[in-house]
Amino acid sequence: MNKLKKSLALIATLAIASTAFVACGDDSSSSSTADNSSSTSDSSSKEDDSKDDSSKEEDSKDDSSKEDAPKAEIKYGDDDPTLSVLCWTDNDLKNMIKCFAENTDYTEDQVKYVNVGGGGEEARDQYITYFESDGDADLFVLEADWILDYINKDQYTDPLTNLGFTDSDFDGGYAYVKAVGTNEKGVIKGSSWQATPGGYVYRTDLAEQYLGAKTPEEMQDKVKDWDTFTESAKTVKEASNGKTAMADTLGGMWQVWQYNRKSAWVDSDYNLVIDDFCKDYAELAKTYYDEGYVTKEGQWSAGWNQIMQDDSTMGAFLCTWCFGKDGTLSQMEGNSEGKLDGPTAGKFNITAGPSGWAWGGSWLAVSPKCNSGTIAHDFVDFFTVNPDTMKTYALFSGDFVNSPAAMKAIVDEKSNKNDYLGGQDQFSVLYEAASTIDMSNVTAYDSVLKSAFNNAVTKYVNGDYKDVDAMIAGFKDDVKANVGDLTVE
Amino acid sequence: MATAAQSRIKSVSYAKYGYIFILPFFIVYFVFMLYPLIETFRLAFYGNGFTDVVAKKGIGGHNFVGFENFKALLFGSCEGKFSNFNANHSVFFRDFKNTIIIWIGNFIPQISLSLLLAVWFTDLNVKMPGKGFFKVVMYMPNIITAASVAGLYFALLGPSHYSVINLLLKTKETGADPVKWLEMNSVWPARFIIMFIQVWMWFGNTMIMLMSGIQGINESLFEAAEIDGASSSQTFWRITLPLLKTIMVYTLLTSMIGGLQMFDIPYMLNKGTDLNGNGIITSCETVAVFIYNKFHGNDTSKLYGISGAASVILFIITAILGALVFYVQRDKDAIEKNRKRKQAIKEAKRRAKGGGFSI
Repeated sequence: MNKLKKSLALIATLAIASTAFVACGDDSSSSSTADNSSSTSDSSSKEDDSKDDSSKEEDSKDDSSKEDAPKAEIKYGDDDPTLSVLCWTDNDLKNMIKCFAENTDYTEDQVKYVNVGGGGEEARDQYITYFESDGDADLFVLEADWILDYINKDQYTDPLTNLGFTDSDFDGGYAYVKAVGTNEKGVIKGSSWQATPGGYVYRTDLAEQYLGAKTPEEMQDKVKDWDTFTESAKTVKEASNGKTAMADTLGGMWQVWQYNRKSAWVDSDYNLVIDDFCKDYAELAKTYYDEGYVTKEGQWSAGWNQIMQDDSTMGAFLCTWCFGKDGTLSQMEGNSEGKLDGPTAGKFNITAGPSGWAWGGSWLAVSPKCNSGTIAHDFVDFFTVNPDTMKTYALFSGDFVNSPAAMKAIVDEKSNKNDYLGGQDQFSVLYEAASTIDMSNVTAYDSVLKSAFNNAVTKYVNGDYKDVDAMIAGFKDDVKANVGDLTVE
Repeated sequence: MATAAQSRIKSVSYAKYGYIFILPFFIVYFVFMLYPLIETFRLAFYGNGFTDVVAKKGIGGHNFVGFENFKALLFGSCEGKFSNFNANHSVFFRDFKNTIIIWIGNFIPQISLSLLLAVWFTDLNVKMPGKGFFKVVMYMPNIITAASVAGLYFALLGPSHYSVINLLLKTKETGADPVKWLEMNSVWPARFIIMFIQVWMWFGNTMIMLMSGIQGINESLFEAAEIDGASSSQTFWRITLPLLKTIMVYTLLTSMIGGLQMFDIPYMLNKGTDLNGNGIITSCETVAVFIYNKFHGNDTSKLYGISGAASVILFIITAILGALVFYVQRDKDAIEKNRKRKQAIKEAKRRAKGGGFSI
């Protein structure tokens, strides 16, 4: 009797104690990836019984990918019929999921967007925490600035060959996209659905009023290089009585400039490289800020949208992923979802701007915890490998896809009209720029250094540093304080 | 010889079930509190960053570096490969100064306001209608999460033409620059705003605590004072305040510990003032924000060592200040009494002993 009581008490206690360890995360089917890989040999039979309710999927796979799919094996099981894609925003993913469901036999419910972090920088930290929990993770999205943090570490990312791709599958995309997704050992671990050339988006009515430019070609003439751009800024300022600035935010100008830096931020001996670029940009920023050639709003702030709706700015530096359905430009015009009802809806056009540039971009990577192999393969294939489906997606969402062939076809067909740009085809403007994108200068230190430099410039234009030299000194101190392994002279 | 029944009773000890039942708490405590605490101390003696380069140099996150982190933070006197981190010295002290200024600037108004309101609310002679309503309303800001409060104030005072106050001031229409209340070179406005938010959020909480303290004082004392003709200020200074000392010390101590670790409002109000979503208003960066900024980043800038060392320094300072508060506020009469009592006992003992030898 006593024994019974004791053991009952012990069991009760253990039950209580164990509840203390029930953390967030509920998916019991997710943490079994390692053992699954052994079962790939019979994956075909497994597929059949795991998808008993949707035999139609098999057909779709048959006709869409049988001939071009390589016979490399997918090294993950299909224990979980739902694909989990991790990202910090569903701006892109909601369109991708919709498009994927419309054009394959998968349903929208089979691809799940999992939010991790409130922004790219946050997600960078929080992915690691998420991976250590038992939450389901199949694919996840990485940003250009910090992709190296992940693809160089095998515990967080698997090679894409594990999804049944061969390296040559990614040759169809832009070379720089492939290069960024390749880690230091030459293994391809990230694949992107987009290429991200950018341009200068401007208000057509204001351009005509202040600069007399009636077409994008005429406008391009007014902004063809930075000197001309500054000239035009002066004209606009005078004509509008200082009401209208030429550029949107310092953040926007910075994106164009930092892309055009010729040297890397860090050389091969781990020295911080400070050259004329830094001084030139700081001086330009100061002039623009003081003269009112650029607004005093911050990028990604509430004010950023506002300036595009009143007459505060002639235009903004935006890139391909801003023009998507309900994307950044739509929000800036003040449109509600799926509509064109904002104060400046459709009043914009795009030109190449003072210099070619590209802005970030997102890469899909596969987690070693992946347990939805087939659908993960199909998803990556649909958006980053197969030019036909990529073309479909480009027309569906307005995103510039990572396939020169698909983009060329769209430009030649003239089948794309962007409502937010008054029906202009942004692809034709950006197609040229895309082929020149080069991101070989990217180092693992970039996000830290750019952020520190930007803070220094922001302080400088606000009058916190008395001159550029003081600013550079402050920037160096900031770098020293945060990075131990760089030589800063 | 115990009977069989007696020995059986002895063997049923229920004490151990007690231990088993409190075990969950201790397990959670060890895993989530004690271990991180010890780990922080350990990390303070290890290097910074997790790249191959720092690992090779011997200053990375896996390398033991002794007191280098403390040297860099406190004196900025590291040499050789660790010298980069000397740049943290001035930043750390700047942030420390900010913390102290913001804490003092929020504690003094907060305690005065709370005390005043607590006295009014508990005074039997003050006939205020809707006391309960006011108490609830004053406590309300404390219920809102710090993130929302920061968001609210950022919308009001943000460095943009479109923040509420600037819209009211019509900075855009008049062509003036947006007033940047929360901006770099306006050192004091930014600090003042944080102090104000802290007071606004916490005075209700402190008030309730002080009220419970005042209500704990024997009412007959107030009555007696009133009968003896004490004015209300005399009652306050001679009766309420001295008897409120313990609760005041408690408030001071918790506020000080909380103030030194102040993080949420300074961090979140500042977040978003630069391009990358971080803060550039250095005048309101506190030590806790410094610690956070240092361990959070990518592999090149995960400065666990610096972060750990700063935490340890903060811990020691908090401990010293806490001890100081207790020392200053100690009950001198009681200590004196205790000392006298002990002396008397000693004396008595000595006399009793010595009595044998004297004539």
